[in-house]
Amino acid sequence: MTRTKTFKLLSIIITLVVSGSLSAQLDEPNNELEGAANYFLDSSDATKWAVIITGPTVGETNQAQFRQWSFSLHDILTRDYGYSSDTITLLYGRGAPALPGGDRVDGATDRQSIEQALSDLASRVATGDQVTLYLIGHGSGAEEEAKFNIVGPDMTGSEFATLLDQFDRQDIVIVNTTSASYGFSTSLSSEGRVVISSTRSPSERYDPIFSRYFIEALDSRNGDRDKNNRVSMLEAFEYAKNNVEAWYEEQGRLASEHAGLDDNGDALFALNPTVDAIDGRLAEIAYIDTLVDDTANLSQEARELKAKMQEIERSVFILRGRKQDFLDANYWEQMEGLLVDLARATGRFNDVAGLPEEEEISADETLSEQTNETPPLQ
Amino acid sequence: MKLHLCNKYHLTLSSLLLSCLFAAPLLAQQQQTNTGESPLFRGEQLLINGSYAAAADIFQMADGLDRNEGIVGASKAFFMMGNTQEAINIIEQVIEDDDYASYPLLSTQLAEVKRSIGQSAEAIEILSVLIEGQFEPPVRALVQYGSLLRFVGRKAEAGEYLDRAVQRYNNGLVFASEDVVMVALASWLLGNFHDANSLFDEATRANPNNLEAHVLWGDLFLEKYNASDAERSYQDALDINSRYVPALVGIARVVGDERSLQRALAINPNSVIAMEAYGQLLLMASRQDEALEYFERALNINPESLKTLSILAAQAAFNQREDEYEAFKSQVDEFSPNNPQFLGDVADTFGNNYLFAEAVEFARAAIESDSEYWQGYTLLGSNLIRLGEEEEGKANLEISFENDPFNVLTSNMLKVFDTLETYATLESENFKVHMSQNDADILWPYLEPLLEESWDTLTVKYGFEPEGPILIEVFENTEDFAVRSVGLPDIGPLVGICFGKVVTLISPDTLSANWQEIVWHEFMHVITLQMTNNRMPRWLSEGISVWEEREGRPYWGRSQGLDLVRAATEDKLLHIKDLNSGFSGARNNADLGFAYFQSYLVVDYITEEYGFEKLAEFIDQYAVVKEDSERFNEVFQLTMDQFNDGFLGWIDRRVEEINVFVHTEDVPDEGEGHGHGIRENSSAILAELYNNASLKQHMRSRIEENARDFQAHLQLGIVLFKEEDFEQAKFHLITANDMLPSYTGYPSPALVLSQIYDREENRAEQLRWLEILLENLQHDYDSAMILADAALAGQNFDRAAYYIDRAIQVDPYRSGVHELKARYATAIDDSALAVTEYEVLLKLEISDPVEARTDLAEAYLKNGQIDEAKQSVLYALEEAPSYRRAQEVLLQSLDGAPN
Repeated sequence: MTRTKTFKLLSIIITLVVSGSLSAQLDEPNNELEGAANYFLDSSDATKWAVIITGPTVGETNQAQFRQWSFSLHDILTRDYGYSSDTITLLYGRGAPALPGGDRVDGATDRQSIEQALSDLASRVATGDQVTLYLIGHGSGAEEEAKFNIVGPDMTGSEFATLLDQFDRQDIVIVNTTSASYGFSTSLSSEGRVVISSTRSPSERYDPIFSRYFIEALDSRNGDRDKNNRVSMLEAFEYAKNNVEAWYEEQGRLASEHAGLDDNGDALFALNPTVDAIDGRLAEIAYIDTLVDDTANLSQEARELKAKMQEIERSVFILRGRKQDFLDANYWEQMEGLLVDLARATGRFNDVAGLPEEEEISADETLSEQTNETPPLQ
Repeated sequence: MKLHLCNKYHLTLSSLLLSCLFAAPLLAQQQQTNTGESPLFRGEQLLINGSYAAAADIFQMADGLDRNEGIVGASKAFFMMGNTQEAINIIEQVIEDDDYASYPLLSTQLAEVKRSIGQSAEAIEILSVLIEGQFEPPVRALVQYGSLLRFVGRKAEAGEYLDRAVQRYNNGLVFASEDVVMVALASWLLGNFHDANSLFDEATRANPNNLEAHVLWGDLFLEKYNASDAERSYQDALDINSRYVPALVGIARVVGDERSLQRALAINPNSVIAMEAYGQLLLMASRQDEALEYFERALNINPESLKTLSILAAQAAFNQREDEYEAFKSQVDEFSPNNPQFLGDVADTFGNNYLFAEAVEFARAAIESDSEYWQGYTLLGSNLIRLGEEEEGKANLEISFENDPFNVLTSNMLKVFDTLETYATLESENFKVHMSQNDADILWPYLEPLLEESWDTLTVKYGFEPEGPILIEVFENTEDFAVRSVGLPDIGPLVGICFGKVVTLISPDTLSANWQEIVWHEFMHVITLQMTNNRMPRWLSEGISVWEEREGRPYWGRSQGLDLVRAATEDKLLHIKDLNSGFSGARNNADLGFAYFQSYLVVDYITEEYGFEKLAEFIDQYAVVKEDSERFNEVFQLTMDQFNDGFLGWIDRRVEEINVFVHTEDVPDEGEGHGHGIRENSSAILAELYNNASLKQHMRSRIEENARDFQAHLQLGIVLFKEEDFEQAKFHLITANDMLPSYTGYPSPALVLSQIYDREENRAEQLRWLEILLENLQHDYDSAMILADAALAGQNFDRAAYYIDRAIQVDPYRSGVHELKARYATAIDDSALAVTEYEVLLKLEISDPVEARTDLAEAYLKNGQIDEAKQSVLYALEEAPSYRRAQEVLLQSLDGAPN
């Protein structure tokens, strides 16, 4: 990717939060983080596109499951995240099944349809848009030979990666939930991309249940861990991973799948990605939905309060990122002060904005709209 | 003397040279067998193949330079057949004027045979003469002499000769497999177990047909509780010679196989090791009299049989026959003063019989006798642990491990200490509990009140307060549980074990069973064991514990009406005096489960027919040593036969009351969790897979044959339910339920009926049948949850609490039941209870910790725990600073009260 963009506040905050030590960051600029700042800028101007590609399968149970996952994902993206039939492409098995809901399907999952669909999409996307590809189905093989099973000759990871090259001005997320997905997923790894794989080893070849919980994370924003009414790829990944582990434990079975995430382009998938680890930084800011700018109708006082809330929240992130620099009591004393200020400011903002309770918004929903200045360092 | 193992090139070269040396006399052999082979060669072949009689004959044909070797071979062959006298005679005929030094091979064999029949003094004399008279006595003679000196307590001298054998090896002068195995034995006796292991390996590689090497190697493994490697070694020997008695005995010692011992004794009727092993096996199966016969036979052949004497001494001490014990001890002291192994074996017997304090005493005595008897430290440590003396126990295990790291039992037990170091320790008034942090967070809130309730209820009922605090150890890992309980990682189906003052349990998180029933059951053991100074027989202790399950909660216990009818019909009930063998002789889980059930029935019989006071009186009888017949006579004024007749009559009446027909084609339900888990009715489960039409027809014909065929009604009901013929299904299921309302198998008539009403959307009837179901079935989480939810919705809070508790008894690790209980707590305005539930929910939450922390903060706030509320919500907001609900809770916590 070669594009450059305005350096938005949210990215700055994330950059600061993920740095373990602020002073260290000042002394030694982190090139990796600076690079990361160019991706997933989360602009309200950008459009989010989804491509769901569901491979063919045999057996009634598998067919029903793949159909349910694909259609549910389509519906959840539409219902909860502002996507529409125009922004979702669903390629399904041998084409639209003669079943209720079959009209969601845009084509079959064969090589020609995939190439055509991605080519069409490439002609419609704008710079800075986000394209998320969900792969559901079976995979086979390992490493370079790993394939996604489609109708007709299967597709290798490198072939699929080539198809993605046309999206060099967009943010790309790939959620590969197929069996034996690991080798295929490694081929898709690239700087600025978030790649989620339901398996993290060539030996994990059985059909995973990761899809089920990933979709559940999206459903009604179940995965929204930080309660900002948005679900990031990292949150959805964590939700799915934790629930997959619990499922195997409850079944009393050894887990035959371990999901991994790679977002630094090294093709090494982290089992426990976090915002302050090697993998997890981009996934944290790669949201499923598009940011909504709803500040236009606010009064001056409300705008000022909003700015104050964002300022405090930024301070919370910074303090949290420097937690290890403080004595525990001191840290919590400062954190409490910030959080109380934020709570009071939010309450005041909701009063001033006159929002009904269910519509009350929090600071970070519009955070990236406010400024492109570097926050004050403490 | 430490060993310097030679490299393989040295060994190969030496073997070649040796082969050449041996080849010359063979070529010079004059007499040949009719196969053209030398008698010595042919005799060896026959001996290795187990054709002992033929081998004895052929060996005696050897002459010339082979003569002495032939006689040794013949003596060995006679010995393998148990003809000890001939084994001696054939040698003594050759050795003139006790000139043992001139006949080193013959003398060594003679000494070994004499030792085997308890003539250790003569054996020592023979070897002493031999070794004094030889510049380079055979390695075998040195090692056998050292072994004998050690056996009779002359340990320092023994070390000298054993060292000489090892030195010989180090000097590169030991080549033959038969001698290498002796050096291995010397290393073993010197405590160099690693060297011994390597040398056994070398000996078996040099000569894969060396049976002695395979068996001794197996014995070394067995001494170290490494059963799998021991079995492999014995099996290697048996693969070569299936009639090799020491290997047959070895296998029997590993797997408890009676047939191997019968075979061993058929081959060698005078095998002392076979008799000892057989006696031990019979003792374990509570067949005392038969066991004694074998021990007596063993002593008649070998009055110096240390194992037999230690077992008999332990039995005497166990039964407080002090004079008898002293007599056995004196007998041992005569040939082996203060033998540490004798004392260790006695300690082991006491420990295995739950008399841990006595076991500790004997283990200490063994160590005092020989501070390098490392097994003594293991015995001391493991028994101290069972008395709750963890620190001293661990210290002794560490001493043992440092000096004998190959002892699997020692290393296993120490590994469990590593696990325990990660565990939390919690204490209540009468209990100290070790458990994982996960269990401490989730289980402890429900375990603590149950433990104290069991203490309050059962101590009052039995008028006995056990010595406390009682140590409870809850293991998440089944292997840790097994090792802590018995030292080895396989303990079969057991889920909890009581040692008197210590109870080990498998964590309910690892288990599929009613954990509360298990805890109650085990605490009852604490009472009965301590009341009788750990002398209560297993059948009675288990019978009372199972009986008290039902007393604890009406839906606990074992309602196995079908099993009772089946057992009575098949005449499977054991005589009262054989009840213990029902446990020790159980061949499978079903046998073991039935032993529990019958023991419970006997206790039920006692309390029903004679009253609870008689049961308490009966328990007291076991605090003192006496014959069982005396106990029955004193309490019931009956002989054991009379008591048994009364019991069988009572069983007949119960079977009549149950009045159910059990068809021979039906199999018993299979229980999980060692009787505390669900019992699956496999026939009924399979009913869903059968061809409906034929099954229906078959079950209808069975019902025509006998209208009281419970299983036929149940299975027919299931098939009709599948076919959605609900009315007919109801008829048969209700008939089955009326016939045997206490049936607790899965699926049961009540369960299927509830499903029918669910399909018919008749909520009231569905709930009614679920209530009926749970009157007896204690393992159904989902049904309890449905009933709890319904009760809460109907504001029937007592019933809601009851069913919530029922669900927690099955699985306290599911968040659903805690969410329900939190709702219940809120509904009844019990803020403290709500806090408990939200604390548990926080530990269980994996998807939304922010929400869980906020819920908990709210609960704290309502319970007046302002500081806790603030901290909990700060944790939530740290992760989700803009979460409005949490912000509000934070502001409320500053005000000090919820809005």
